[in-house]
Amino acid sequence: MKFARRAAYRTAMFVVSIFSVVAIWELYKIIGPQDGGKFFGVSVLPRANNTAMPHISTMLSRYSRPEVRGSDKKIWVVVLSGAWFSLRLSLVGFFLGTTIGVGLAILMARFKIVQRGLLPYLVMSQTVPLIALAPLVVSWGGKLEIGSFVWPRWLSASILGTFLAFFPIAVGTLRGLSSAPAAAVELMESYAASWKQTLFKLRFPAAVPFMVPAFKLGASGAVVGVVVAEISTGLKGGIGRLIIEYAREATGDPAKVFTAVFGAAALGLIMAGFVAISDVFFMRNRPKESSI
Amino acid sequence: MKILTRIKNILVPLSFGVVFLLLWEGAVRVFDLKPYFLAAPSKIFEQFTKNTSRIWDATSVSGTNALVGLIIGTILGIAMSFVLSRFSFLNQLITPLAISLNAIPIFVLVAVLNNMYSITSEIPRRFMVTLVVYFIVLVNVAKGLTQVRSTHVELMHSYAASDIEILRKVRVPNAVPYLFTALKVAAPASVITAFVSEYFGGLQNGLGSRITSNIANSKNAAAWAYVLGACLLGLAFYTVSIILEKITRKGETK
Amino acid sequence: MSAVEVIGASKIFNQGKTQQVDALVDVNLTVDQGEFVSLIGPSGCGKSTLLRLIANLLEPTGGSLMVNNKTVSQARLDQDYGMAFQQAGLFDWRTVSKNIELPLELKGWDKEKRSARAAEMLELVKLPEFADLYPWQLSGGMQQRIAIARALAAHPPLLLMDEPFGALDEMTREYMQGELLRICGETATTVVFVTHSIPEAVYLSNRVVVMSPRPGRITSVIDVDLGAKRNEDTRAADGFFRNITAVREALRGTQADHASANAIRGLEDR
Ligand SMILES: Nc1ncnc2c1ncn2[C@@H]1O[C@H](COP(=O)(O)OP(=O)(O)OP(=O)(O)O)[C@@H](O)[C@H]1O
Ligand SMILES: [Mg+2]
Repeated sequence: MKFARRAAYRTAMFVVSIFSVVAIWELYKIIGPQDGGKFFGVSVLPRANNTAMPHISTMLSRYSRPEVRGSDKKIWVVVLSGAWFSLRLSLVGFFLGTTIGVGLAILMARFKIVQRGLLPYLVMSQTVPLIALAPLVVSWGGKLEIGSFVWPRWLSASILGTFLAFFPIAVGTLRGLSSAPAAAVELMESYAASWKQTLFKLRFPAAVPFMVPAFKLGASGAVVGVVVAEISTGLKGGIGRLIIEYAREATGDPAKVFTAVFGAAALGLIMAGFVAISDVFFMRNRPKESSI
Repeated sequence: MKILTRIKNILVPLSFGVVFLLLWEGAVRVFDLKPYFLAAPSKIFEQFTKNTSRIWDATSVSGTNALVGLIIGTILGIAMSFVLSRFSFLNQLITPLAISLNAIPIFVLVAVLNNMYSITSEIPRRFMVTLVVYFIVLVNVAKGLTQVRSTHVELMHSYAASDIEILRKVRVPNAVPYLFTALKVAAPASVITAFVSEYFGGLQNGLGSRITSNIANSKNAAAWAYVLGACLLGLAFYTVSIILEKITRKGETK
Repeated sequence: MSAVEVIGASKIFNQGKTQQVDALVDVNLTVDQGEFVSLIGPSGCGKSTLLRLIANLLEPTGGSLMVNNKTVSQARLDQDYGMAFQQAGLFDWRTVSKNIELPLELKGWDKEKRSARAAEMLELVKLPEFADLYPWQLSGGMQQRIAIARALAAHPPLLLMDEPFGALDEMTREYMQGELLRICGETATTVVFVTHSIPEAVYLSNRVVVMSPRPGRITSVIDVDLGAKRNEDTRAADGFFRNITAVREALRGTQADHASANAIRGLEDR
């Protein structure tokens, strides 16, 4: 009961905060300079005119109008199918990333030498912009042939999602696998349990509270990777391409790009939602304090 | 004993790295991999040394954008977190928003910002970096300012300390480690955001634009060389944030 | 056949290095079938180490150990003993009965046999109605009883316990001591029991083994002459106090330095 009330309160606060953002946007449109403001010769204040900053209502109503003049395809259909396309790529990337990340974590937990050799690179890789590889990886599309399998362009985007997803997942899972208390490990030893038995009966269940936040990072990494791949190479079909295309039309149809931007936001939130649901599922029987 | 483990901690990763590079180089040669798939490390290094000054130019453009955004975003984030710690209603309002922004590919806003400023300016990119850094710093520092140990606050109350004194003696010291945790995340994020922003068009002088244009011209080894520059930039930012943390830590223990 | 046989066992940690610790030196101990033996002594005298040697969680640096006339490693593989620690150490993600089933799962028992045994063990520790709850929904004493049920689930002939009641309050503790004696009596289990409490050792044991530190060794073994049947009246009997005094005297001799003397005095005050 208490829990439900708190959830309702949080939702309400979230809605209020969204409305505050809307209010600030509209307020700036009233008081802000129409053609941007300069301080010491540098333009820091954005233009408040309707071309640069359309009204929120214009953005929302844009959804019900056709994508291009004369077409009978409403823009919300286009944005939705673009987001759906990117979502599928992100899911592929996420699942590949999970497989590789968890696999590496198991390997590192099993063999100290692998952990010693690999972990510094994993930590370092969090700090270097791997995303710079996006155009490179996407350029494999259509050119690379492995036997009779021709590498499709969309797979490159997913692979990029995998790149960004698997590092946090590997590190988080490793931390979780090593979090099993020494006494519990000793207990399993006293049962003469095999390493595999200890892994599945003790280490993995103990790792869940660490894996959930790692998966959250991984999920948003997968989305970022896919969208960046789409944007940097203009990969057709996804939400990233729509954003780039619509941004070019911004002088004539300023609200259009926002429909796609909101689509990208929805995409990220849906991926996060999947992880949040699995969090609730896996942690349902755990003591409430330990849900980190 | 200690020296031995330290050597091990360096040698083992080092040999992993060398083996990885050798395998990479070997794979490219043995399987005769086409450069568009994978360029050989030796070729990449060759390109890197040949184009050092150009890569440096591009790196300094993206690096400046990242640095400007990082500094402004950190300052604004810290300032706002003080406001939030004072007014808990605002805190409850902004924190969920900031957290859900984490799940969103927020950098797509560059597409919008490019329209809000003139397309030939670096401002939209710096604005974007600022925004990303701002929310990272805000969430963490606000946490540090508010999640203090209640015994400490009670102790200060027993000294009849004012709110300002509690802020200075308890909350701020508690928030410092949180700030550095935030910076360690924000520093690499600022680099990434800076050059992802370049993918949205506008000026073509940074690392991101160079990488795309080199690939468009099928000069993949050169593109890899720019990627190497990007990695070094990211590492430099991360290293500086760690050094800053170490310096403040030292001050604490003295 | 003796349940446990320790012949000249020693354990030296970090041998040859600057942090070398002689945790146990030349320890000899025989525990008979069905016997209840307590290990007592100041902190750091090697009680836990001795128990871990018997459990084959540590390898001795000298001497040999046998359980049920087998090597300890064979005994561990055959699951000839169950173990319980100071912390109940139940798995948060398993229900109470699934926790009890854990060792049986690892032995490859089938599902029906497992749940039947878990129900039987819950009956034994008098908590049958808690089968489907999770450990964190139980009190500390209940958790410790589940841990004992888990240790006994495979009906091992030997039970090794390291301060299992150390984290419990005095009331629960005395209740648990009674329960442990009842359960071990019903199942004819041999017990090696590590404790810090003199009354606990005396109340439970047939023999109390007194150890001393630096290096860890057995200094004396006291036979407790309280008969086989123990109940709440035992705690008020003259013999109980006589035995407590005997153990206390034996422990006095182990006061290696001022620090451990204080530790023991602290214990007596309980
Ligand atoms: N893994 C280990 N490595 C090094 N030294 C150890 C290790 N385990 C125990 N020791 C040392 O061995 C000695 C005996 O430890 P042990 O845990 O057996 O004592 P104990 O009698 O159980 O003490 P307590 O009553 O505090 O539990 C101690 O000096 C301890 O520091
Ligand atoms: Mg001990």
